[in-house]
Formats: sequence, C-alpha cells, structure tokens
Amino acid sequence: MEIGSLITGAITDTLDVSLPLFRVELAIAATIVLMLLCRMLPVLRRADSALIALGGAGFALWYAWCDLRGLPAAPWTLADAAAVPARQELFGGLLVFDSLTAAVRLLLAGFLVLYILFTKVSGIPDREDGADFYTLVFGGALGMCLMASANHLLMVFMAVEMASVPSYALAAILKGRKAASEAGLKYAVYGAGAAGIMLYGISLLAGVTGTCHLPSMAGEVARIVGEGGAGGEVLVLALGGLMVAVGLAFKLSAVPFHFWCPDVFEGAAAEVGGFLAVASKAAAVALLLRLAFTLGAPAAVPAAAATVVAGAGDVRHFMVYVIGLMAAVTCTLGNLAAYGQTNMKRLLAYSTIAHAGYLMMGAAAAVALMGVDAAGSRRAVAALVFYLATYLFMNLAAFAIVALLRNRLRSEEIASYAGLVRTSPGIVVATAVVLVSLIGLPPLAGFISKFLVFASLAEAIQAGAEKPLMLVLLVVGGVNTVISLFYYLRVLKVMTFDPPPADRAGEAFPLVSLPGAVVTALAVPVVLLGLFWSGLYAAAQLAGTFAS
Amino acid sequence: MFVVVTFIATCIHVYASGYMHDELHDVTDHEVTLADGHHLHRPGRFPRFFQALSLFCFSMLGIVIAGNLAMVFIFWELVGICSWFLIGFYYERKSASTAANKAFIVNRVGDFGMLIGLMALWGALGTLQFADSRATGPDGAEVVQPGLFSLVRPAATGHALQVPDGMVKFAAADEVAKIAAGQPQNPAAAASEIAARVGDWRAMGLGNWLLFIAGLGIFCGCVGKSAQFPLFVWLPDAMEGPTPVSALVHSATMVAAGVYLVGRFFPVLTPDVLLVIAYCGAITLFIAATIALVANDIKRVLAYSTVSQLGYMMLALGVGGWVAGLFHLVTHAFFKSLLFLCSGSVIHACHTNDMRKMGGLAKVMPQTAGTMLVGCLAIIGAGIPFVIGLSGYYSKDAILAQALSFSQVNPRHSILFLAVAGGAFLTAFYMFRLWFMTFAGKPRDHHVAEHAHESPSVMVTPLLVLAVLAVVAGWTLPGGFGIANLLEQARPAGTAEGFALGAVTIPAEYKSHEGAIHVTATMTAFATALAGVVLAAAMYLWRIVSPDVVATIFRPIYSFLANRWYFDEIYHALFVLPAHGIARLASGIDTGLIDGLINGLAWAARQLAGIDAWIDRTIVDGLVNTTANATWNAGLELKKLQTGRLRQYVMFIVAGTVALFVLASMLFKSSLAG
Repeated sequence: MEIGSLITGAITDTLDVSLPLFRVELAIAATIVLMLLCRMLPVLRRADSALIALGGAGFALWYAWCDLRGLPAAPWTLADAAAVPARQELFGGLLVFDSLTAAVRLLLAGFLVLYILFTKVSGIPDREDGADFYTLVFGGALGMCLMASANHLLMVFMAVEMASVPSYALAAILKGRKAASEAGLKYAVYGAGAAGIMLYGISLLAGVTGTCHLPSMAGEVARIVGEGGAGGEVLVLALGGLMVAVGLAFKLSAVPFHFWCPDVFEGAAAEVGGFLAVASKAAAVALLLRLAFTLGAPAAVPAAAATVVAGAGDVRHFMVYVIGLMAAVTCTLGNLAAYGQTNMKRLLAYSTIAHAGYLMMGAAAAVALMGVDAAGSRRAVAALVFYLATYLFMNLAAFAIVALLRNRLRSEEIASYAGLVRTSPGIVVATAVVLVSLIGLPPLAGFISKFLVFASLAEAIQAGAEKPLMLVLLVVGGVNTVISLFYYLRVLKVMTFDPPPADRAGEAFPLVSLPGAVVTALAVPVVLLGLFWSGLYAAAQLAGTFAS
Repeated sequence: MFVVVTFIATCIHVYASGYMHDELHDVTDHEVTLADGHHLHRPGRFPRFFQALSLFCFSMLGIVIAGNLAMVFIFWELVGICSWFLIGFYYERKSASTAANKAFIVNRVGDFGMLIGLMALWGALGTLQFADSRATGPDGAEVVQPGLFSLVRPAATGHALQVPDGMVKFAAADEVAKIAAGQPQNPAAAASEIAARVGDWRAMGLGNWLLFIAGLGIFCGCVGKSAQFPLFVWLPDAMEGPTPVSALVHSATMVAAGVYLVGRFFPVLTPDVLLVIAYCGAITLFIAATIALVANDIKRVLAYSTVSQLGYMMLALGVGGWVAGLFHLVTHAFFKSLLFLCSGSVIHACHTNDMRKMGGLAKVMPQTAGTMLVGCLAIIGAGIPFVIGLSGYYSKDAILAQALSFSQVNPRHSILFLAVAGGAFLTAFYMFRLWFMTFAGKPRDHHVAEHAHESPSVMVTPLLVLAVLAVVAGWTLPGGFGIANLLEQARPAGTAEGFALGAVTIPAEYKSHEGAIHVTATMTAFATALAGVVLAAAMYLWRIVSPDVVATIFRPIYSFLANRWYFDEIYHALFVLPAHGIARLASGIDTGLIDGLINGLAWAARQLAGIDAWIDRTIVDGLVNTTANATWNAGLELKKLQTGRLRQYVMFIVAGTVALFVLASMLFKSSLAG
C-alpha cells in the first residue's frame, strides 16, 4: 500500500467520516480552549466563564440531539435531520459511534447545561475560579464522552484517565479547606492505584490477544476461550479482564472499590459530588455496557466457528457473574453503610454506591439476555438508559438541595436540617420528592426506572438466561429497596418532626427564589417523568438499538 | 284572585307591622318556661317574620298565576313550608312547634294524593299545562300543543266534557299494543286504526276511572290545603301562630289555595269527582260549624268558622256553582281577614284568647267592636232580602241557590241543600255568640277589662278598610261592575252549560237565578240566619236561655262537640299510635336484634384483633425489630471499615482484586483450569 493513499485514506476517514460524528466532543473541546483563551487575554478576562461554558454546553447538547435524532431507528426522525449511520467506527477504530454513544452523549451534554445553571446559582465556583472549574468539568465531560464511545482498550484507558484526572482536581477545588484537599489527594491516589491495575489488565489482554481493538479482541477472546486455550491463556485472559473490571469498578464506585467515594464526597463540595455522582456514573455504566457487549458478541469475526460461539457464551457467563455478584454486594453494602450516616453528602455517597448496584444489576441482565433474547437485551439497555436519565434529575436535585441548603445553613449535617419544614416547607417538599424518588416509590420517576430494571431481571428469569443469578439479583434488589427506605426517610423525619435547633443559623429558604427555582426545575421533572414517561422511554429504547 | 291576594296581604303586612312590634327588641315569652323556672328570653325576630310572610305571599301569588300544574305544585309546597315557618314562629312553645308540624304533615298527606293525580295526568296525557301552548315546530310553522283543558273539553265538541284520547288509550293499553303488534311494519296505519277505535273505547267507558283518579288526586291536595274533612284538624291548631299569620293563612292565602285550585281545575273534574267534592264540603261545613258552637277560644271559633266556610265553597263548586264558590272565596277573604284582625285586636287588648274572660268590650274598643260586627253580619249573609245586603249575602245566596238547583235535578242528593241551610243557621249562631260574649254585656273578668284599650291606629286602619270592603264586595256597581260579574267573565270555556257523565248531572249555574229557586234560596238564607242570631241573642245577650243549662241538658252532645268530635283522638288512635307502635317495634328490632348482632360481630372482631395484635407485637414486630437491629448493626460495622486511611484503601484495591480473582477461580474452575 502506498503511503500516499494511506494518508489520503486517513484524511478522508478523519474529515469526512469521523469529525462529523465527533461534533459533541469538538464543541466541548472548543469551549475549553475558549475559556482558557479568555483567561489569558486581559481584555476577555472579565468575561463570565459560566456563560461561555453554557454556550458550549448548549452547542454540545444540540449536536448530541441531532445525532440521536438522525439515528435510523429514531421514531421522530425529521426531514431536516441529517441521517447518521447506525454504527460507525471513528478514527480508524479507536472510537465507535452508535446509539449508545449518541444517547449517553446527549445525557452528558444535557447534564452539563443543567449543571452549569445550578453551579451558577449555588456560588461554587466563584467568578475567579469559574474558568478553572468549568475547564475541569468540561475536561472530565470530554473524557466521559470518550468513555461512552471507546472502541479500543487504549482509548478506554485514556478516556477513564481523562475523566478521572479533572475529577481529582475538582475534588480539591475548595482550596482553603483541608477536607477538600484531603479528598482530592485520596481520590487521586486511589484512582492512580486503580488505573495501574487496569493498565496491567489491558497489557495482559493485549498480550494474549495481540490487539487492543475491541471487536477484534472479542473474536480472539472467544476463540481462545472456545478452544480451551493453551498454556493458561484463559487464566491470563480472566485475570486481565478482572483487572480491567477493577478500573471500571473504581469509576462505578462498586464494592469493594468504593472506599474513595464517601471520603471524597464528604470532603469535596456538594457541586463536585453531583458531578461525580451523575456524569461519572453515567459514563462508567456506558463503558461497562460497551465492553460487555463488544466482548460478549464477537460480531467482527467472520464466519464464526462453533467454538467461537461457545467461547463467546462462556465469556458472557463469566462477565454476567462478575457484574452480577459485584452488583449484589455493592447494592447491599451501599445501602447498609448508609445507615447511621450523619453527613448528608456522605449519605448520598452511599446512596450513589447503592444505585450503582442497581445499575449493574440491569447491566448483568442485559448481558445475560444477549445470547438468548436480543430484543429483551435491548429493552434491558433501554431500562438502564432510562434509569440514567431519571437518575440525572434525582441525584442532581439531591446534591443541589444539599449545596443550596449549605449556603443557607452553613452545614451539611443531617441534624442541622431539623425542623426545616416549619420555616421552609417548599424545600422540604422538594427534598421529599427527590428522596422518595431515590427510594423508588410511585408515582415518581425513580419508581419507573427501578421498575424497568427489575422488569428486565424478571425477563431474564423468564427467558432462562442465567436464571439462578438473576433470581438472586431480583431478591437482593427488592430487599435493598426496603432497606433504603430507612435512611432516606430518616432525613425527611428529621426535617419534619424534629424540633429546629435553637442556634439555627441562616434564614428561611423560600421556594420562590432563584435557588428555589433551580430546585424546582430539577424536582419537577422527577414528578413529571414518573407520570409521563413514555416519551423518555421511547428515546431510551432508541439508545438500546445498538445491542443487535 | 291576584288582586284579592295582594290587597289582603298588603293590609296584613301593615297590620302586622303594628302587631309584631314586640319583636323589634328582645322578647320575654311568658308562655315558655325554661328548665330553670325562668321565662324564655330571646332576641326579637321581626325581620324573620317578615321574610317568611313575604315568601308566603310570593308563593301564593305564584300559585295564582301559574299556568301549569307542575308550577302550581312547586308553589303549593312553598306555601306549605312557609306556613310551617309562620305557624311555628314561636317555636320555643311546644304547642306552636307541634301545631306547625301537624299542619305540615297533614298537608303532606293531601299532597301525596295530589302527586298521584299529577302522575295520572302526566302519564296519560304527557302535559301539565292548563291552556294550549304555542310552539314553533321544526318546520317553522306554529304548532299548538293542547293543554289539559282542551284535551278534556275539546273545542271541536263545544267544550263538552269527554275523556281525553290519551287516557282512553292508556286505559285500553292492551288493545293498543295488540293493534301495534299486528302491524309492526306500518306504524302509521296502526296509529290511524287506534285513532279510529278511540271513539268506541270511550263509549265503553274506558279511561273514565283515570280521569276520576286524576281529579280526585288533585282534590286530595286541595283537601289538605283547604282543611276539608278529613284533613281539617290542622287548621284550628295553626292558630298558635301570630294573629296576622292566622288572618293571612285563613283568609286569602293558604286555605284559599285549595278552593282556588279546584276552581282552576274545574273543567277537568268529572261529575263523580264534583259529587265527592260536594259531600266533602258538606261534611266539613257541618262538623266545623258544630264544633264552633261550643269553642271558647276566640281564634278557635274563627278557625272553625273558616273551615266551615271553606266547606261552603267546596260544596258550591261541587254542585256546579263555579262562580258561587269563587265569589264566596273572595268575599270570605275580606270578611274573614277582617274578623281575624279584629280578634287580634281584642287579643292585643286583653292578652287572652278566652272569650269567657271577655265581655263588655264594646265600650272600651268601639272601633274594633263595630268593625267586628260588620264582619259577623257579612259572614252570616245579612241583608234586606232582594234589596241590598253585605257581601256575604250575595255569595251565600248564590251557593244556596245552586245547591237547591242541584238537589232539584238530583233529588237523591238533596241533603246537600239541607246541609247548606243548616250551616247558615249554625254560622249565624256561633258568630253572634262570639260577638255577644266578647263585646256585649258586662265584663266578666275585671283584671282583663281594666287593661283593655283600643288598638293603635296602624292596626285599626286596616280594620276599617276591610270592613268597608266586607260590606261592598258583593255589590254590583252600576254598569254591571262587580266581583260576581268579573268572575262570570272568567268562567272556563264549556262550564256554563250543565253537564252530565254517568249518574250525576251538574245543573247549569244560570238556572239557579231563576225566580223560583232564587227566591226560595234567599228566603231560606234569611230565615236561617235570623234564627241563628235570635237564638244567640236569647242565650248570650238577653239570657233567656242559659247556655250552661243547655250544655247540661245536652251533656253528651256538648262534650262530643267540645272535644271536636274526638277527631284528634281518633286520628291519634288510628294513625299516630300504630305508627308509634311500628316505630317502637322497628326500634326494638334495631336495638335488640341488629345492634346486638353488630355488637356481637364487633366484639368478635375485637377479640380476633386482639389475637392478631398479640401476634403482630410479639412475632411480626419482633422479627422486624430483630432484622432492623441486625441491619443497623451491620451498617455500623460496615462504617468501621471506612477508616479514612489512604494506605489501607490502596491495600483494599489489591485485596479486592485478589478476592475477585479467587472468587472467579472458584466459580469458573473448569473453564479456567485449561
């Protein structure tokens, strides 16, 4: 092959194919550059970086929406929507664009818009720190977008690190506070450890299979496993896989790699907690689905031999058990450890751990259904995307309430919320909506999403896919929902029944105010999505189409 | 009628504003003794009184102008409820509230019959409209929907009474269904065949009973409202209300409503119904008059007199005297309200209703005495025969003449004429007994006499106005302008001629003006009235015959009358006691059986709940609490794992990875072994 045609091919691939489907990331990257530029030029230093960030996020959101809308199976495909391919590898196979990418990028872009508005109101970051803060947030978001579209193990590592490193800095953004610095340091060291193990795993996998391109690797893995492997190749593959899983588990804050989570959430500002809990988790789930679905379905291997098919089945079985068991443990420990927490942010940290468990249960069900019932598998993915979308509102609302109450009460302790209903009934109602939705009670959005996840577990049981494990997961999920009632409602009990402390600092929190409007804007969708969820579910089903 | 009602109501409103002035401020009611021995002291209810009074008048006028039986019924009920308010105005007095309830309940009995009549009419004819109504049909043409009157007395047959087609078809429903079933494809042909056969069916007498029921039902309502036998018992008790109310209720409005409705409905009534009405009126007239002979309460005498006069009116209508009955209604309205207002004036002066404590009042209250004398003369129909007379003279003469005419046509029913004649005698006697006892002679009770005084002018003025009217209301002014002539013009189409249906013949009213009948009637009226007055004067003025002696001689009859023919007792025994018995039985079943059962069930449920609660507390709660404690402790234990030491955390990563690997190797031993 000539070098010339190679270059021409690369240029064509980059300019004509890859970049148009990379617009969201480009918008984010351009925003970062713009913000940094403004920081350097004295003339533009006075520009409010939040507005720039908002503009960039708006562009990203629009592009992400266009991408999703242009998908072939989109129910609301419009005449003006530029059609996009159902699946397209970008940049020579480093990234992949499909419905999952589009959906998760839309979620992330939407999150960014809401997040910027919320942080603008909550006051962290202040104007001085704004550019730094939003640069870091956008950097993390860029990494998360890449996590959702990574198609190559190197890209996976790059994306995870790109998402993590800004997060470390974000955790320590409250410069003067010891707790924040400690949180940042812990996060960084823990993340470094996890990244090291993940890198080790990647090298093991690459060493055995001879490639980092995921679809190619999937075929190799299936072949090796199907043939039984020689010289302990399977063992090495399993070890490598588990090590990559450790990296993912760190991002998901799954037990037993969750230790960073409560400390970081407690130490960092609530705004940072919201970012980590929502965006980071959504990207991690997307990456989990991407890895599991690519490795579990070696579609890239032509004329798949029987051994390959059998090997793929074994791989799926292995993955389902790893994900499922980890999900069960994560969910239970997260919920149990949330008991007895006195700090609201710490409680929410455990809450996010528990929710990671529910999400992983859904992922396990989706992988289990892969080989048995493709439609069911798609529905399971749809349930997960739906869960992520509602989780965005619920959790962001929860952290927003914590942050905005902190601005009033100068405290994030649950005890300081005592008797809040007497002075600020509106905020307590909003809190109740959010927390009850996190429990998963009707008629709120949390119920629907939890119901859909459990429904996919039940579907797996009915389809006979990994029946015993799915049964266990369903029971564990149900029991955990009951357990979680306790600590969420305890917060409400303190807010409503307990007498307000005599030395209450700060004034009442009226719902009719700018912060109140933020809380309302985040809490109202929780109710509305619980009542009118068909539209969102249709979009989520669209996201599931990639799992063919 | 409209004029009469509004006029008398106006008089009574003026009068009541004087009579009820006590109510403007706080009132101590001496007839109500509270549990602590004090008299009831309550705020005045002046506005409430006039609210109810005005609503009463409104409803009454509604009845008068309603053109539709349904509207009549609604206003009818409004009148009923207003009378309940007004009779029970002093509701703290037990007698007043009982009387109000009595009036209301007795009227409901009558209204039940009226509802039946309404249903019969609506079911068979589909309209409750009196007159024809014009509506614009779908094609723009004017469609005349026949009302009740033209259905019963179609213009085509010269307004002669006939059973309407609707009722005939209703009665012949079987035949109609047969014909309709015979031609299911051609309903038009079936309809024409049915129409053709209606005449035959009518000749067979089908539908007669339905018209009879309808008329009788409507009359039932009138019986209740106009206090006819057997539902007259409420009216004397209704005297418990303030006197202006008595005057209004018993002259122009409530009781008049019944007579008015019979008059309004007259064209639809068959001779059978009219005969029932006539007998009803005769019995009422006689019973009420006899009771009035011995009553000692001045208002009670007037009340029974009213009942009796209403009987006159009903009788008059029943024997075909449409004008006579309504004429008497109008004249009676004037003199009876006059009499009531006079009695109110007397009561106002004496603070007692008992005639035995009065006497000789003519000296202290000459205006009242004079106007009351006019009223008495009017009610007995006094006048110089064939020359001139008071209003009652004309109306009563008309009734007598019509009754005589009727009994000549139907000799079997000549007792009706005797009842009228006897009634005239009794009326004269008890009215003058009243007047003599009250105003003539010497005061019997000095305590009462000392306090007596003439009433204020606001009360006397209406008396004078009404007295003048009681004199002139019957006159026919030059040019033929008079109430009787006005009524003659308003006569419903087709009723001027006599008519017959079945065994009874109703004579035409103009026949009663024929010389022979008219002279006889007038002479009878004059003679009986004079005899009554003379007898009353003999007993109460000149004291030739002592009333006490008469009472002693006729002891059984006297006590029978004094106890009002034992009607209240009979009704009590016949209706109230059985109702109470049934109620007690039902209550016994309720408390004994049903409540027992329910209580037993409740007891059983409580026992079960107790067991359940024990299980819940010890086993379920215990389990839950144990679980909760366990999870709580587990949570606390897990918390301890979170030491916050970074070195440990990093070690946990390694440990976790190793643990994962160990777990995986245990789970997937077979596949990993290779």
